[in-house]
Amino acid sequence: MAVEPFVLVDCSLARRAIGRNCSNLRELLDAVRTVPDAVLEHHMLRCPLEDHFEMYEFPNDLARWCWEALGDPVLAEELGLVDPYKETSIAGLRSTLIDTIEDRLWGQDRIPWCRPGFELHLVASRLVAYDTGERIPTPAALVETVERMSLRSLFFHVHEARRRTGGQTDDFSLWLEQFDTCKELVTGLREIDFYFLNLSQLHQEILDLFQQHSFVPTVA
Amino acid sequence: MKLLDRYEEVVGHHEIQRLYRLAERLAGKRVVHVNSTRNGGGVAEILRWMIPLMQELGIDASWEVLEGTPDFYRVTKSFHNGLQGLPVSLKKRDYDLHYEINRENAERLNLHADVVFVHDPQPIYLPQFTPKDQVGRWIWRCHIDASRPDRGVWKYLEAALPQYEATIFSMAAFTRPVACPMFLIPPSIDPLSDKNCPISEAERLETLTRLDIDPDRPMLLQVSRFDRFKDPLGVIEAYRLLKPYHASLQLVLAGGPAEDDPEGAEVLREVLDWAGEDKDLKVLLLPSDAHRDINALQRSAIVVLQKSIREGFGLTVTEALWKGKPVIGGACGGITLQVHDYHTGFLVHSPAGAAYRIRYLMRYNDKRLRMGQNGYDFVREHFLLTRHLRDYFTMVLSLDRPEPDSLIV
Repeated sequence: MAVEPFVLVDCSLARRAIGRNCSNLRELLDAVRTVPDAVLEHHMLRCPLEDHFEMYEFPNDLARWCWEALGDPVLAEELGLVDPYKETSIAGLRSTLIDTIEDRLWGQDRIPWCRPGFELHLVASRLVAYDTGERIPTPAALVETVERMSLRSLFFHVHEARRRTGGQTDDFSLWLEQFDTCKELVTGLREIDFYFLNLSQLHQEILDLFQQHSFVPTVA
Repeated sequence: MKLLDRYEEVVGHHEIQRLYRLAERLAGKRVVHVNSTRNGGGVAEILRWMIPLMQELGIDASWEVLEGTPDFYRVTKSFHNGLQGLPVSLKKRDYDLHYEINRENAERLNLHADVVFVHDPQPIYLPQFTPKDQVGRWIWRCHIDASRPDRGVWKYLEAALPQYEATIFSMAAFTRPVACPMFLIPPSIDPLSDKNCPISEAERLETLTRLDIDPDRPMLLQVSRFDRFKDPLGVIEAYRLLKPYHASLQLVLAGGPAEDDPEGAEVLREVLDWAGEDKDLKVLLLPSDAHRDINALQRSAIVVLQKSIREGFGLTVTEALWKGKPVIGGACGGITLQVHDYHTGFLVHSPAGAAYRIRYLMRYNDKRLRMGQNGYDFVREHFLLTRHLRDYFTMVLSLDRPEPDSLIV
């Protein structure tokens, strides 16, 4: 049976300030308890779309803020380890974050504050995805497409795909598993620990993996 | 050849194709941008490229400019200062004048549109005087840091906002709570404009010679309006702290007049007084269309300063990074989004800090060059007009379809 071509999607964020910021750990806890889901999604899941340099200590905004602005390395490390892609819902993520921050706050004699100018400005975002019109017929064509695709497309087909599939898979491997000769490649793609890579690094890692599997057939 | 095709050389063929695909979803929409000047300042520069590119992407876009009197611009300059937090004292007649000029302009301007983007406070009361069925959506685009405004100015401007469906700010730190959604869209530069396009070595050298700058000696540069918030006196102080270590150093302060900035002449006089007779310190008052001269100056500097104490987004920083120059920037406003310590330059808090970091960069040539390359790459990814257009389209699509979750169009 012929395999349907891969549909290439691109995306962009509509970002909104919610008019609220945090200047100490208690305010952060209160915010995590009460902000809309779109705020947690933005600060925990969509950071890769904003990042550029390979300089970030942590893969999410909350951990970074605790490290850089509050000067709390213990909490930063704990928040850095919270993997939102392992949570099945934003409610679950929220609960994990509350538990982590509350636990840290519980043992503190003094509430950590940031200096003026280093507040965490809370942002909500909405992902707008659109069909690029490109259809990829073969694994070989997919290799060529990934090489030139935007980092935003990469985000949609890897990070967003994980959310759509309950953390199971990215779109590339989901499509490639229909080809008998791509099993190793599929396994390799699913093993990439993408949460700790910026999009440029992830792009390179996927290309390297494709390179190792240059046998990918041109027909199904 | 279409205008957008030229940008393929910079951002690639596929990036332009993506933009067409996204814009298809908004084809035929009538969009009007309104601001207060066609010349001078970052907003006019953005609109100059944005309108034709939106048109090419299938959107029926146009640009309307408010007409005011010198008194009106004096009042709106106070609004500008007041929004940035400077105490201002305006009288009822000043507010009345602003209101009245908005009324007159609402009758004169062509504001029939699906979406009208109102830029900054000058035209903010246009919706008040425009028939309700004439405009689908009003969106206020505030280019200024409005987080700690003068109370009187904010109260007056805030009263205009219920007419708007959304606002846009350059970054979250510039906002203050308002009743409608506050979208975040940083501005951008046009990489092919006279100010940012590649220029020949011959043209660069000719420009330096004409402006009486020695091309063989290191040069520091700040490009900005003559405005106290840009701290030109602090830049001179930093240069004087460096001069004993680098006797051949030159400093150029280049600024231009803006039609809506009556304070500029006064600040320029202060700067000239402070500069004194130093032949290595040039204060250049360039015409508002001297874009290629600015381009040549930025490409000739070893380090570019933007030592502002309050700042909007700071497009001069973006321009300098685009030319591969590390930037020494005041730790304020949009400069903090662009200048990352040890990656694209340094954020500083004083003239001494600026002098110290410049000394460091003059000592470590390799680091200076690497930061320059980082800056170029950073702007290419985040601050070119293609990203800016994409953000506008994404915002309008998001308003068109206000479902709560992610959106596939």
